[in-house]
Amino acid sequence: MSEAAQIDTPVLAVESLSIALPKGGDRELAVENVSFAIKRNEVVCLVGESGSGKSMIAHAVLSLLPRGVGIVAGAVTVAEENPAQLDGRGLRRLRGGKAAMIFQEPLSSLNPLKRVGKQIEEMILAHQQPVPSAAEVQARVQTLLTQVGLPNPQLLERSFPFELSGGQRQRVMIAMAMANRPALLIADEPTTALDVTTQRQILRLIGDLRRERGMGVLLITHDFGVVADVAHRVVVLRHGKVVEQGPASEVLRHPKAAYTRELIDAVPKARLADIHGTIARPEPLLEVVGLQKTFRVKRGWLQPAREVVAADGVSLTLHECETLAVVGESGSGKSTLGRMIMRLTEPDAGAIRFGGADLRQLRGEALRQARRQLQIVFQDPFASLDPRQKVGDAIARGPMAYGMSRTDAMALAKRLLVRVGLSETTADRYPHEFSGGQRQRICIARALALKPRVLIADEAVSALDVSVQAQVLALLAELRQEMRLAMIFITHDLRIAAEIADRVIVLQKGRIVEEGSTAEVFTAPRQAYTRDLLDAIPGRAFFDQPGFAAGNASEFDDRVQRDALKM
Amino acid sequence: MIRLGSLAAVGLQAISRIAQLVAVILVIATFNFVLVRAAPGDPAQVMAGQSGAADPKLLNDLRKEYGLDKPYLVQLASHLGRVIKLDLGYSYRQRRPVVDLILERLPATLLLTVTAFCLALLIGTTLGALAGLAAGSVLDTVFTVLSLVLYATPVFWLGLMLVLVFSVTLGWLPPFGYETINVQLSPLQHALDIMKHMIMPVVSLAAIYLAIYARLMRSSIIEVAQQDFIKTARAKGLSGPRIVVGHMLRNALVPVVTVAGMQAGALVGGAVVIETVFAWPGLGRLTFEALLQRDYPVLLGIFLILSIVVIALNLLTDLVYRLIDPRMTTGAA
Repeated sequence: MSEAAQIDTPVLAVESLSIALPKGGDRELAVENVSFAIKRNEVVCLVGESGSGKSMIAHAVLSLLPRGVGIVAGAVTVAEENPAQLDGRGLRRLRGGKAAMIFQEPLSSLNPLKRVGKQIEEMILAHQQPVPSAAEVQARVQTLLTQVGLPNPQLLERSFPFELSGGQRQRVMIAMAMANRPALLIADEPTTALDVTTQRQILRLIGDLRRERGMGVLLITHDFGVVADVAHRVVVLRHGKVVEQGPASEVLRHPKAAYTRELIDAVPKARLADIHGTIARPEPLLEVVGLQKTFRVKRGWLQPAREVVAADGVSLTLHECETLAVVGESGSGKSTLGRMIMRLTEPDAGAIRFGGADLRQLRGEALRQARRQLQIVFQDPFASLDPRQKVGDAIARGPMAYGMSRTDAMALAKRLLVRVGLSETTADRYPHEFSGGQRQRICIARALALKPRVLIADEAVSALDVSVQAQVLALLAELRQEMRLAMIFITHDLRIAAEIADRVIVLQKGRIVEEGSTAEVFTAPRQAYTRDLLDAIPGRAFFDQPGFAAGNASEFDDRVQRDALKM
Repeated sequence: MIRLGSLAAVGLQAISRIAQLVAVILVIATFNFVLVRAAPGDPAQVMAGQSGAADPKLLNDLRKEYGLDKPYLVQLASHLGRVIKLDLGYSYRQRRPVVDLILERLPATLLLTVTAFCLALLIGTTLGALAGLAAGSVLDTVFTVLSLVLYATPVFWLGLMLVLVFSVTLGWLPPFGYETINVQLSPLQHALDIMKHMIMPVVSLAAIYLAIYARLMRSSIIEVAQQDFIKTARAKGLSGPRIVVGHMLRNALVPVVTVAGMQAGALVGGAVVIETVFAWPGLGRLTFEALLQRDYPVLLGIFLILSIVVIALNLLTDLVYRLIDPRMTTGAA
């Protein structure tokens, strides 16, 4: 407990901070009268949905607010300085010197045309006085890369960002942030774009570095799972106002505000008690047998093509009104599996039996008719709708292609929009006028317009906020009953799989490593890989506590305390 | 690792591209052949007409002499045969080898187009970058309006107006030609003399491309400025100029290079008009004259050379592109 000896001056103090939005925004103040502080060696989580103003606060700390947005009241103090009062030189010394920041999407946050080593060097050169020699800088970069757990730093510093994995890129961002030993690290949704195992590693790394260096960490997230894993203190924000704040264990266990409760409940948990039992039905609707797919990735001219096995003898069955979750890390071949069933990607071998025929043998009109009954909803609702097509048209186009009249198809589109929770008038609007969750509802309506029997949801809720995620999942569950839909739910998030699926298939490198009812897989995983995936779920240690639901047990309190300090 | 083989990879890629080029050139040569014959009239008719004795016997004799009486396929075969041997043939009219005619004119055209291209690229991207960085300011508005006007101005009209103002009215610049004839000049004076003659043709030719690059660079800079990695650079505490030079320019140049590469070929086409307006003794004027006289070998020779130049420029663009953007080398992006 040496950490108890913390120095009491806060590394970040936010006092009565209010930030104004430009005129014509959806509200006057992005952030209203927010106060909190971060001490050395402390992790404070800012939690809230998108639009709650949490990123605005983070940007205000480094005076990085977008044009037209400004602080109207209150103050920010970072390491005893007020960024709003600093001149250009002072501000540059603060940014990346005393306080460093990492962002959600590590690929777009790195310059695509610069070697990562150079980008880290730049951080050192911009701050160290006197300017260190080239050899010194080089050595520093190597040390930093090693410290963030990157293998082979010599090779890595010569790489371009596109050559690295998502986790490696975020490690590079962290190495860059650590370059000048900042007193404060601001991490804006640093793991949202990563899969669960990588997410856990990155959170651990941030925790280790914090302990080694005694940094304060401001971590922004929408996920109470992450909060439960890493936070000492929590600040819950809604519409720019603090709803609740306090020690993490306290807020998690005894949330005072209803909104906090809602956010905590929105964390998908393995509902182990009431799993929808699977009764074996005689005739599967869809049967996939021994699917095989190898991609050959061309590299330079001198290297042999790299072979990536996306599917290695994958077999599965799906019954009417059943939900099957396909889980695995990125690169495990789960999306390829979905695409092969849709015949968007051609398998190398195997059979896909649907409605009494092998989809792989079908051609022309027969295939067209079969395809109608298989529909897919993709991950990114922003990219899967044509920006120049009205929402109603996007939905009606499918039925029209199968011979429905335009009037009927538009009427159907409006009914479906109402069914997925939007109003009829939305049919005449364009996709950009909707939020991510609304767009995903539109995509679902579009898929349902063809009255499919099988719906494949490829990471359909991964890009959404937790609370929106919960709403969309609930909608899908209702629709399943209503339309007797069979669903294949492809996801990297096991919590979602546990929430929605009857059965689960775990994929690793194109192979099914485990399959069974959701209850079996979650309570008694047979494979180490599955156990790893389960352990990597953020907040698992917290939410799996028997005491959590009942809200008692002091032993549980200790456990949370212990976990928090382990960070 | 991945980057190690990249230089060798670029080399190999170049070799493979060159092999493709030969095939492309033969197809183009065939196409040119058909195109030229598709125009009404042939050299024999033009020559017989000009000699004032267009009787059928003279026509037949001329056609026989130039091999125009043979079936098209035979003529095409002999044309392609010559292309492979890089033999451009002999001009009926000028009674000289086509190669000589082209080589004589090529330097003047290259001087004109290369200068115009470099100026357009250099000035265009600079102005565009400045406008993009100061988006919304007075400077930006002035640049934007100016580039729109330049973009909308027909090349020949701009040429004529320049002549009207700077030669006819002000008398500052020579109105046409490549150099002052019948004067004794030292090499330095000669060079200056040529430069003086170049100013107006180069400006007319460069104007529209300058406008295109400026507009492209402006929007490209504005787009790059909104990228996440620029926010990262600011959060790193880098100074404004460092962000622009170190992070924005190269990223913003990628789309400009793509377009510039495609247009470099079109620039040679634009030269035909400008060379006619300014009586510039280049390939453009040679083309114009050969066209009027249906001088098939000269036309085919010029077309072939221009095709090769365009293809070579595209190849060069590809290579430059790979140097600017590492994601292109492995095809991984």
